[in-house]
Amino acid sequence: MSDFKVSFRENSPQGVSNKVHIMDLKGYLDAHTTPHLEEAFEKLIAEKKYNILVNCRDLSYISSAGLGVFMAFIEEVRMNKGDIKLSNMSPKVFNIFDLLGFPMLYEIFKDEGEAIKKFEAKT
Amino acid sequence: MIKRLCRQNVPLGCGADHSDMRIKKILFAVGSAVLFVIVFVIDAILKNIEGGLDGILFVRLLLVAVAFVFLYFYVDSKIKESERSQVQRLGASSVWAGILIGAYIVVSILPLNWFESRDLQLYPRDYLTILFSTLLSVISGLAAIVTVRHVKDMLFYKRTRGTKRNFVLLLVVMFGAAAATYNLRPLETSLAKTILFTLAILFIIINSFRLSWIAYLSRREKIYAMVYALLAFFGFMAINIILSEMSSLTKALLYFNYPLYIFVQLSALFGSVYFGMAFISTLFHLPTAAAFDRKQNEVSSLHNLSRLITQVFDFNDLAKTVTKMTLEVCEASSAWLEVLPADGKQYDHKLDGIISQHNIEPENVEQILFGGEHTVRSLVLSSKKILLVDNVKNDRRTSYISNIKDVGTLLVVPLISHDELIGILYATKEIDHGFEEDDVNIVSGFADHVTIAIENAKLFKKSLEKERLQRELLIAQEMQKRLIPQTLPLFKSVDMKAVSAPALEVGGDYYDIVMFDDYRVGIVIGDVSGKGVGAAFYMAEVKGIFQSLSKIYSSPKQFLVKANEALISSIDKRSFISLIYAILDTRTGELILSRAGHCPMLYISSDKKEYVKPTGMGLGLRAGKLFEETIEEHNIRMKKGDVCVFYTDGVTESRSSDGEEFGYERLLELVSRHRSRTSDEIKEEIIQGVWNYTDEHGYDDDLTVFVLKWQGD
Repeated sequence: MSDFKVSFRENSPQGVSNKVHIMDLKGYLDAHTTPHLEEAFEKLIAEKKYNILVNCRDLSYISSAGLGVFMAFIEEVRMNKGDIKLSNMSPKVFNIFDLLGFPMLYEIFKDEGEAIKKFEAKT
Repeated sequence: MIKRLCRQNVPLGCGADHSDMRIKKILFAVGSAVLFVIVFVIDAILKNIEGGLDGILFVRLLLVAVAFVFLYFYVDSKIKESERSQVQRLGASSVWAGILIGAYIVVSILPLNWFESRDLQLYPRDYLTILFSTLLSVISGLAAIVTVRHVKDMLFYKRTRGTKRNFVLLLVVMFGAAAATYNLRPLETSLAKTILFTLAILFIIINSFRLSWIAYLSRREKIYAMVYALLAFFGFMAINIILSEMSSLTKALLYFNYPLYIFVQLSALFGSVYFGMAFISTLFHLPTAAAFDRKQNEVSSLHNLSRLITQVFDFNDLAKTVTKMTLEVCEASSAWLEVLPADGKQYDHKLDGIISQHNIEPENVEQILFGGEHTVRSLVLSSKKILLVDNVKNDRRTSYISNIKDVGTLLVVPLISHDELIGILYATKEIDHGFEEDDVNIVSGFADHVTIAIENAKLFKKSLEKERLQRELLIAQEMQKRLIPQTLPLFKSVDMKAVSAPALEVGGDYYDIVMFDDYRVGIVIGDVSGKGVGAAFYMAEVKGIFQSLSKIYSSPKQFLVKANEALISSIDKRSFISLIYAILDTRTGELILSRAGHCPMLYISSDKKEYVKPTGMGLGLRAGKLFEETIEEHNIRMKKGDVCVFYTDGVTESRSSDGEEFGYERLLELVSRHRSRTSDEIKEEIIQGVWNYTDEHGYDDDLTVFVLKWQGD
């Protein structure tokens, strides 16, 4: 039940030097599985990849500990002129983000493409 | 069974048995003495009667036999009483040989008239001869019994399957040879006797190879054993010679009892052969005695160590014992033990791992371990193999310590547990080539024991630690229970009930109330992100903030803004707190509500079933204006029968066995179904509902429910 996986993709539209690094989250993100997500963020940040899009299509649950991970990295990412954006949330997962007021802190998109466009618009 | 225990010197509970044995012993001694006196009287009477009294002679034979059986039981119980070492047994045997020879000498110099031989029969010339024959026979028999009994104990030391069989066969043949003579005249001989006698000698020789006890004597004991064995050998040899001549002494024994004579003779033969063999064998063992002593020492050290493993849990005590034993085991001149930190951590100071040293200065230890780029320590750390430097002064590997005076040989032994290096044991010797191959072997065997002992001590420490933490947690649990209200205030117009259960010992859920005046009550429900002790600390902090700020700021929004300000500086950036705060006027039923990231309030009235969810961000996420702008206030005017439920996500996010959440729909449906019941009943229904839904998986999150029911107009 508490299976959780993070996989990485890259999106590099032609001629755009600023790549968007996409994380696909899958499964159940709670206190036991948050270390995986932390590692994933640490990995990207260590590689100076600050344009991060988190695709939540296959994320079935996120606990408060999971939400905390986003808070842990947002400051550093934004300081480096990057951003963490989220997309493709199921209504249930969106509700958890929404309850806590995360839409006021992060840009959350219905669709991955919109989010990538937003990243591109910035550069 | 009890008898066996008594023999092992168990002091308690065997008193009755002890006195029993003593009485038996006395009875045996007195019984045999009486029988010997009777035999003497019979002999004295028979002296004056000529021949033809076969019946009486047969009775006399029986009496003699029974008397010696009694004597045997007496000796046996006497020997069992005293636990003797092999050397003492040897000593006792040689003493008895001496006693017997002494008796022979005394009797032979007495002016006795002895016997007249006629027709292969012996006729005593006077009563004194009969008396001394009897005495001599009894002493000879006694000496034979004692000797055979002692030799039996020596034979049976570390016995094998054949030992008992060979010994029993010897006894059978000996008694056979003796019994074969029961109807012979004293000076007569028979073929059966000669054959059995020869056979007995054969078994004596076979039995005399059982000398395994010699190997286990210390060097000192071996020297004693040699002396005693030699004395006993000569003693029994002399007895043999005396008894093989047809002297007056021999005749005295023959006259008393022919079978006894044969038994004594064979016993003396057994004694001389066995002790002769013992002497030679000890002599050959003597050169290796010192080595054996050392091995013995090693074995007992290892034994002590393995006992220590189960007894010493104090790390430093253990380390001290280990280094001391290392000195003993390989006769090293100095030794020390280094325990490596777990999980690749580092010590604050590099010598912190040296927990015990003997006969060496810390400076020298430091130089040997860290004095160069490639030290013996780093070699062993990478190879995890035993390192022996035979000549420290001239070895390339130890060139960096060639100036240390007292180190000639250096032995470095890694302590490995489950493929992990947990420590290193060092031993040195002043001379070079000081450690032999078997020293290295024994130390490496010893190291395995040390590893287990260290692991044991660590585990013990860990479990103590765990127990202590468990106790602390229980205290924390008690304290946290006191942070939530023990009772809720009672109002005519409103009925309030609450419950909170942490998933672990302590948790991050919180509810509280505050009274502003007689009518207005503030209700807060909160949830700290995460679970356990970390969450519990923040929960306590929230309690402090709530109790102080709620009195000052009477609007829910103001309170939340100020609470966020207070929290944001102390809270970890990945933690946050969700709160819902409501102020209720118990006269009017007016409820003002603000929410900071918390689960929406469930509101059930006659015409509405809804979640009330004013916007608002969790506490600790953003400071100042950014936070303040998100917070809304919401007003409700409660009417008779309206129910408000505050709760934490432990309710809505509880999962069934197939992974589905309890959810908002279920909660809403459940409460509206029971809205006509009391607050307490509604609260119980929710808890029960969640409990049933989770299928007895238990809550896996902290869970809090606060129910409020308006009863006024």
